[in-house]
Amino acid sequence: MTTHSSKRVYLQPTPVRIWHWLNALGIVTLGLSGAQIRFPEYINLFGSYKAAIELHNTAGILVALSFTFWFFYYTCIARKMTQLYVPSSDDLRHGLLRQSVYYFFNYFRGKPSPHHPTPDNKFNPLQKSAYLAIMFVLMPLVSLSGILLMNIAPLREIVLLIGGLKILVGIHFLLSCAMFAFLFTHLYLATLGKTPLAYFKPMWNGWEEIDEHESETTLESGHHG
Amino acid sequence: MGRKIGFLSLGLAALWLAAPVETAAMDDESCVSCHADAGMVGDAYVIDPLRYDTTAHAGLGCVACHESVTWDHPDDGQPLSRAGCLDCHQDIYEEYAQSGHAQYADCGDCHNPHLVRGPTTISGHDMNRNCAVCHETSGLVRSHGSWLPQAALHLEMLPCISCHSGSENIVISLYLTRRPLHPDSGAPARGLPFELAGYEDLKLLSEQEKISSLIDTDGDGFISLAELRSFNRNRDNRNLRLKGMLTPEIVTHDFGILANRWDCTFCHASGPGAMQTSFVAFPRQDGSFERLAVEKGAVLDVLYGTPDFYIVGATRSATLNYIGLAILAAGLIMPVGHGTLRFLTRKNRR
Ligand code: HEC
Ligand code: HEC
Ligand code: HEC
Ligand code: HEC
Ligand code: HEC
Ligand code: HEC
Ligand code: HEC
Ligand code: HEM
Repeated sequence: MTTHSSKRVYLQPTPVRIWHWLNALGIVTLGLSGAQIRFPEYINLFGSYKAAIELHNTAGILVALSFTFWFFYYTCIARKMTQLYVPSSDDLRHGLLRQSVYYFFNYFRGKPSPHHPTPDNKFNPLQKSAYLAIMFVLMPLVSLSGILLMNIAPLREIVLLIGGLKILVGIHFLLSCAMFAFLFTHLYLATLGKTPLAYFKPMWNGWEEIDEHESETTLESGHHG
Repeated sequence: MGRKIGFLSLGLAALWLAAPVETAAMDDESCVSCHADAGMVGDAYVIDPLRYDTTAHAGLGCVACHESVTWDHPDDGQPLSRAGCLDCHQDIYEEYAQSGHAQYADCGDCHNPHLVRGPTTISGHDMNRNCAVCHETSGLVRSHGSWLPQAALHLEMLPCISCHSGSENIVISLYLTRRPLHPDSGAPARGLPFELAGYEDLKLLSEQEKISSLIDTDGDGFISLAELRSFNRNRDNRNLRLKGMLTPEIVTHDFGILANRWDCTFCHASGPGAMQTSFVAFPRQDGSFERLAVEKGAVLDVLYGTPDFYIVGATRSATLNYIGLAILAAGLIMPVGHGTLRFLTRKNRR
């Protein structure tokens, strides 16, 4: 498909895109309603307190389900989880450094990115590491702590095992802050393409546009991978 | 019996001087000499002096409420009179009569006249115990669950009257709960849920010191945040946990459904200012509770002040807010820092 004359790569399959935007909407909703739940005397975005809680609970369940769906899509159906999201040893040895040097140095000098996305290798090593932290650490922990918070009485023994309700809420709150901290970084990294919107387009319509000579290297590495 | 006659003659002598013979009556000790003994009066008629003597009614004397008692009691087989609560609690009686609930339950359905306690010397669990006689818990969880998330949790952590009456001065009362003891080994049973700890259990644990010394280690009758923290962190106390309830200090009897309790903000959205008054209530031998005041704001402590008590929207910790803010700020380093350099070097990428 990459031989298509318009020099475009089909980077994001439809289910992934639907998932991504639903998830994004869900997480933003969770963050905003969570903020109202914690700071009700300052923040009132959803009418009543009860509405915020009901919205947060509903969105929480949906996002937790969607996360599970994502996990199974990649491990069972696409079978690309490790390849896509776990940095390879080469990534760790050279890629991370190379990509960091690019972002923090060469980028400012106007050099091209050392990473070329393909369907099988769509994230650069920096993105991979960040995604790894988010999708394998933050997301599951926020969801699990949230599900416990939603069922305090029935799951009391687990709450006690964690050390009590306060610790559980603390974990949930701080992890959700971490999630938003990531979101800022994530969104910003996504504006570092050729044009600020270049990385958003593939997530929207699935296609990434790349230069002629770049697409050749991409094709090659695509064949090998 | 000899002792009884002795008391009787003393009492009679006193009354000869003060009043006509007909009103002469047995004193409390005589009544209790029979009525403390289940073998003599039968289980249904036992009055436990240990628990009765410290109630506000004890000072009235048995006869004040059982006026018709005569020297022939119990041999005459006559049923005794019982004073109506109206005689002495007219205000409450009238208040209650106006509530819709008066048609369903009498004073006696919620109060045992021999065990009366004020709202600050009774536990939140005890307040609910009488309601549960007529209102089955599983049904309530279902009906309240239709509008109240985590209804079972709410019904466990709140006295019904905090929502179903205009009762005021709602404060946080912390009660000691513990793992029940295993029937065979006598050791705390890990699998079983925590339950309210009784006087005897805690007496054992406090090694014959005052029970409050379990938390109030310096014995000054006041619980500081430091004492609360060290209690909660002490590994020896892992089978004890403090459970918090929102209990009223001033009780009204206008039972019914109050519109503003639909509104979660009544408890949840007040912000940390409103929920700072708390007490630890320790059980006493007579079944009542002794409250020790806790340092203001202890429930807002990050982790170890009250590890199991947290009301969203009301008892958040400021420390945690600042840590959260720092994390969010860290997330802005990349966009702001990099973004600035990016802007300054934009010419290089043309
Ligand atoms: C000599 C022992 C004795 C003494 C003293 C005694 N009682 Fe009783 N009382 C009994 C017994 C036995 C019964 C149960 C009678 C029955 O089964 O009918 C009883 C029953 C009662 C009842 C329930 C009966 C009813 O009315 O339905 C009341 C109330 C009562 N006693 C009050 C008192 C009071 C108040 C005093 C003191 C002023 C007192 N008793 C002193 C032995 C005693
Ligand atoms: C404040 C009023 C009051 C005082 C004081 C009081 N009683 Fe009663 N007592 C009552 C009432 C009211 C009942 C009826 C309770 C019921 O039917 O549920 C009652 C019932 C009883 C009964 C029947 C068993 C029962 O619990 O229904 C006994 C026995 C009894 N009282 C003994 C005593 C004795 C002995 C004393 C003093 C030590 C005493 N009472 C003091 C009001 C009082
Ligand atoms: C003979 C008068 C008298 C009668 C009858 C009486 N009480 Fe009382 N009651 C008192 C007095 C006096 C107090 C203590 C002062 C106060 O709280 O009003 C009291 C206090 C109480 C208390 C609060 C206890 C505390 O420690 O604050 C309760 C609950 C109570 N009564 C319930 C009842 C009920 C229920 C009845 C009817 C079964 C009843 N009383 C009948 C006189 C009476
Ligand atoms: C539906 C249950 C219920 C009924 C019926 C009821 N009460 Fe109460 N009452 C309570 C509860 C719960 C409390 C608070 C806990 C406590 O002090 O026992 C209370 C508290 C009290 C107090 C103590 C108030 C104080 O501030 O010290 C008195 C006195 C009292 N009730 C009297 C009465 C009288 C008199 C009647 C009958 C007119 C009555 N109650 C009917 C549930 C009830
Ligand atoms: C002697 C039995 C009895 C006791 C004890 C009792 N109730 Fe009730 N209550 C009833 C009955 C019967 C009804 C009417 C049927 C229903 O709504 O469940 C009722 C109704 C209610 C209602 C609904 C009132 C309405 O306007 O629809 C509330 C609220 C209530 N009770 C609260 C309480 C609380 C709180 C307590 C304890 C402090 C309590 N009840 C103790 C029998 C009791
Ligand atoms: C958070 C506040 C809250 C608490 C705690 C609470 N209730 Fe309610 N309850 C309400 C409200 C609000 C309604 C009216 C909802 C409705 O009509 O569906 C209600 C309805 C009821 C009703 C009438 C509907 C039904 O279920 O039959 C009864 C009876 C009742 N409550 C009893 C109790 C008892 C008993 C307790 C304590 C175990 C209790 N409630 C605790 C707020 C509360
Ligand atoms: C009368 C006071 C009161 C009212 C009204 C009330 N709650 Fe609660 N809520 C509590 C208490 C007490 C807890 C238990 C706190 C604990 O477990 O430490 C609680 C716990 C919760 C929790 C679990 C998280 C936590 O704070 O521990 C949620 C969610 C919640 N309430 C939501 C609601 C909603 C939604 C409403 C309105 C429909 C509501 N509450 C009305 C007192 C109240
Ligand atoms: C993914 C699944 C999630 C679930 C199941 C969940 C569930 C919960 C629950 C049950 C509560 C208690 C209040 C309530 O019942 O609504 C809560 C509170 C909260 N949640 Fe979530 N949540 C999830 C994700 C998130 C995310 C992604 C964020 C933000 C990025 C977030 C932020 C918050 C905040 C700030 C609070 C307030 C708690 C406090 O007082 O500190 N949650 N959550």
